[in-house]
Amino acid sequence: MTLAADPRAVFTHVQPAPTTRRLPANRAGKTVSSGTILISTVTLLALFVLWLVATQLGWATPLFLPSPAEVLTQFQAVAVDGYADGTLLQHTLASLGRILVALCIGVLLGVPLGLLMGLNRWVRGTLSVPIGLYWGLPPLAYLPLLIIWLGIGESSKIVLLSLSTFAPICFSAQAGVRSVPVERINAALSLGATRLQLFTNIILPSALPEILTGLRIAVAAGLSCLVAAELIAARSGLGYMIMSAANFLSTDVVFVGLILIAALAFLFATGMRWLERKLVPWKGKI
Amino acid sequence: MLQIRDASVTFSASDGSAVHALDHVSLDIAPDSIVVAVGASGCGKSTLLNAIAGFLPLTEGSIILDGEEIDRPGGDRGVVFQKDTLLPWASVVDNVALGLKFAGVSKAARRERARELLDLVGLADFADKPPYELSGGMRQRVGLARALATDPKILLMDEPFGALDSLTRETMQQLLASVWARTGKQILFITHSIEEALTLGTTVVVMSPRPGRIVARFEAGFVREFAGTGDIGPILSDPRFIELREEIRALIHRPAAKGTLQ
Repeated sequence: MTLAADPRAVFTHVQPAPTTRRLPANRAGKTVSSGTILISTVTLLALFVLWLVATQLGWATPLFLPSPAEVLTQFQAVAVDGYADGTLLQHTLASLGRILVALCIGVLLGVPLGLLMGLNRWVRGTLSVPIGLYWGLPPLAYLPLLIIWLGIGESSKIVLLSLSTFAPICFSAQAGVRSVPVERINAALSLGATRLQLFTNIILPSALPEILTGLRIAVAAGLSCLVAAELIAARSGLGYMIMSAANFLSTDVVFVGLILIAALAFLFATGMRWLERKLVPWKGKI
Repeated sequence: MLQIRDASVTFSASDGSAVHALDHVSLDIAPDSIVVAVGASGCGKSTLLNAIAGFLPLTEGSIILDGEEIDRPGGDRGVVFQKDTLLPWASVVDNVALGLKFAGVSKAARRERARELLDLVGLADFADKPPYELSGGMRQRVGLARALATDPKILLMDEPFGALDSLTRETMQQLLASVWARTGKQILFITHSIEEALTLGTTVVVMSPRPGRIVARFEAGFVREFAGTGDIGPILSDPRFIELREEIRALIHRPAAKGTLQ
């Protein structure tokens, strides 16, 4: 049989087209996103100026809309002297602690159970009904029940928050497993993968982008439940501080609490984006 | 030696009727040969490949590779898919080394072997890139290197160049012919292009749909010349090539086959 000429010789002229093609696309993407950031910053500044002008010109009484200066003064006062049995730091840490504990519980239970639901029909059939049922309920509707069962202490709030973070993480892990392309699984099997190797090398990394999306939803769900739960039953936390201030019509302290919660939400969102870039840089590429 | 004996695959369609995707097909693939199955959509050629790969159980018959009956996917049959199945989180070299990783080969050894294969398919400079920075043709070359890495007994290629543009496709055919000449792997290649079948096959089997059957078998052998010269031009104008091409075209487009398309 005739032996081939060196097959590599054939390919020396082939250019790595996509690498060069990707650069302009990336550049365009960066321009667009930095442009968006600029627009967002301008909007934020405009809102602040509107707030300043509204209070300066006396469009609303301080009871309804305190001035930025008053809010800043209150911020310092609450930070140093405290409000409603705790300094600002203590309230923030109380809220932050609750949501972080709940997120940990949600991930530690939700990811393995969701993966199992994706892999096994029996687990999926059994668990999807109870999780689907409670996930459909507004959390504040069953909070009174949790308070009857667990009391007004930390456990009822932790359970409420964990329930709200667990479901989206669990469902997204399940969806992640179900979304693995069958060709990718077949390819691994024909390369000799055992079931365990298939799971650790193919299914788990394939499901990771979906799991991170679920985590993002869980953070949002957890934050909204957190503040609501603290409004109803708590003796610490930003929600509790806001509720106490509202009872005394201290609108400026309410503003301090709101701004801090917004800042927390922004921090969480930024953290999640960083985590996605770090863990799944290939997301959307294939 | 791969032996397919009376293999049938029957599905039940959504209306409950039986679809004979593969109907009593028998075929031998000898070592050092490239068997190309060509036919219109639905003729069962991909079903045949999936059954050999072990992705799909046979309803009847048996497939035997070197004396062992096939009933599940395994590392002794390397598969190159039409769709890109590379792992986006792993570098090109680690994608090629995946089968060796499954086999428990140490990281250094499997990367060394993977680099050799990347060299063979002309992608040595791209070893450390993520696969999504490669073009479609380059990804298929990575797929070929990955399938070769575990040194399988047979290569199964399911329309691997079907999604590529015609120039890239020709380059890939040259690559495959020369890789075959160098490694002597037995190959089953699926395509819907008659010219590709004749260019690459030592044997070309023509399949027809409903029920999926082998209707003719030709010994082609142009691939030996192609692997040697790397030049497709003289082959395409070879009178025997043209004659076979027209004969196969007539078989695929004959009225009976057209009638069953309704």
